[in-house]
Amino acid sequence: MINNNVMLVEGNRLYLEQLSNIIRETETVTLVARFRDAKDALGQGMVFTPNIILLDADNPNIMSLLEEFHRVYPHADIICTGEKWSAESSSLYVNAGAKCFLVKPFSSEELLDAIFAFSKPAAGGKEAKVMTFFSPKGKSGKTTLIANLAMAISRKTNASVGIIDADLQFGDMAFFFNLKPQSTIVEAARDTDFLSPVSLNSYFVPVDKNVSILCGTKEPSLIDKVSIHSLETIINMARTMFQYVLIDVPAGFNPTSIAAAEMSDTTYIVTMLNGSGFEVQHIQRSLDIFTTWPDYKERVKIILTRVEPCTITSKQQMEELIGYPVVGIIPNAYLDVATAADDGRMALDLKPNSPLSQRINYLAGRITKEKQDNDDDF
Amino acid sequence: MAEEQINGVIITFFSTASAVGKTLISINMASELAREGYSVCLADFDLQFGDIRNYLRLNPEYTITDLCDRIKADSGSSLMPMLTTYAYEGVAFQVIPNPNKLEEAYNLSPETIIDVLKNLRMQYDYIIVDTTSMFSVLNLALLDISTIVTFLGIVDFIPTIKNMKIGNETLRTLNYDSNKIRLVLNRSDSKTHIQLKDVVSILGEDFYHILHNDFISASESIASGIPLVLNGQDSELTQELRALVARYTNKGYQTTETQKKNSWLSKIFR
Repeated sequence: MINNNVMLVEGNRLYLEQLSNIIRETETVTLVARFRDAKDALGQGMVFTPNIILLDADNPNIMSLLEEFHRVYPHADIICTGEKWSAESSSLYVNAGAKCFLVKPFSSEELLDAIFAFSKPAAGGKEAKVMTFFSPKGKSGKTTLIANLAMAISRKTNASVGIIDADLQFGDMAFFFNLKPQSTIVEAARDTDFLSPVSLNSYFVPVDKNVSILCGTKEPSLIDKVSIHSLETIINMARTMFQYVLIDVPAGFNPTSIAAAEMSDTTYIVTMLNGSGFEVQHIQRSLDIFTTWPDYKERVKIILTRVEPCTITSKQQMEELIGYPVVGIIPNAYLDVATAADDGRMALDLKPNSPLSQRINYLAGRITKEKQDNDDDF
Repeated sequence: MAEEQINGVIITFFSTASAVGKTLISINMASELAREGYSVCLADFDLQFGDIRNYLRLNPEYTITDLCDRIKADSGSSLMPMLTTYAYEGVAFQVIPNPNKLEEAYNLSPETIIDVLKNLRMQYDYIIVDTTSMFSVLNLALLDISTIVTFLGIVDFIPTIKNMKIGNETLRTLNYDSNKIRLVLNRSDSKTHIQLKDVVSILGEDFYHILHNDFISASESIASGIPLVLNGQDSELTQELRALVARYTNKGYQTTETQKKNSWLSKIFR
């Protein structure tokens, strides 16, 4: 077993004591050295052979210190600690070689999360691909799509995937996975000012080896508890926690769906073809708004659900009607999806070779391989 | 102004699950009331993606945006000339279409929309309102001003029923009179493995009225642009829709013969 030998570098006298006590109380972790002066830690610390360094990021020279610590301790994990998390500085630290960022004072659980649980593939310094699933009207099949797509992506690539259920009044993600979550987006939003990605991680509920969910509100009135600012902070943190982040938002254009779409690398317009024939107009109306983005061609993509027959001809016909490329079509599998959802299971698992599963796996492949969208396959 | 103002009945169709048939049923309720000779206004307050103009093939000159502009300029002005008329074989009612542009929809103020309704309810026997499936500021204001709220549900799969339950409970917390909120089940025998009695027990409440699933008639009606109650085909769903209207107007529905005599148009020109 590898020893977790922690060296604490903390300029603030009070924090030095407080954090030392927390580290000493944390099982499986040993505090081997502690310094107030970073120069001392650089010059003297190696005699204690630390493999984990907690480095005070409130030090004004943090960027050059990170570089030096990295050079002197090439085999140690460096965890930055600071009084407040911010997306910009945190990504600077991670890009300069830090493993992650902890808000101080941290708890033993958070420290262990930072050391173990958070050593997922995501924390490699590369930020996640963030995707928002937008639908003009409700009942688009997007919750089903997101749930199954997340599983497909993680199984295909072994990547870590986070789902954020920001459909703030009637989010169904918890139901799809049969969860009764202790913490939801409401608690995460309440606590954002005190959170870092490491501590936000505990608000996500794991549903599979590499898939976890930040569940939605439990009742509609709680929508007021999730401010747009806190949602943006959560999305920014999630970006550093996972390799893929999938966001479910309320139907239509509202502050929530707009904020999530603005922050996403890709926004999927998801619409169910339910036979009225007017869905095309709804998509076009939505596109009128999204095409005001200069880079909309790369950022806005269309997925159609309940397409029958689910063939390349149908896809091409819809592309012609809409006047915009369609990246994915999903067949009607109402009973499979309903059966799966009612049991809290994935349609993907119940019928792995069904047309529905095939289409979802195809989409997952497209997302993970970042294939060109003008490919003629479907 | 000494004349006593009479405010018409406002019936709002609301749900917390999407695609439950609010638009289709509100169109048919407006049509049936008009057929029976009442003056009727149908308002599409699914502002962003409303389908009433699509279902009825309307090409409106004015939309709710124009009505809001007018009422802001002059709260007492007559809005009726700005409504869009739908007419089919002697039956006519008027429509407030949703905005032409999405950004208009996004920027309309709920207070002004309510002012439009307050103005129009003095002119009509019935105003029928179609909404979106969420508790928005506008929808809450609409629930307040409505005489009757039809909370529409379907027996679909569990997430839908969860949302109906949460929606119904939230409605109850608003403390409206219990007979103001009416639970109506649509597409009752559609393809599902969930029993109606289970839904009733989850909701803790019986349905006020039940409409059966008739996907083919409903689709044909949407495809033809003619409401079910006006297309001359007396399907089971048509009869159930008429029965629902009869319960709302507290009388049995009238036959075709009687409606011709006192249709809404004849009332205007009397």
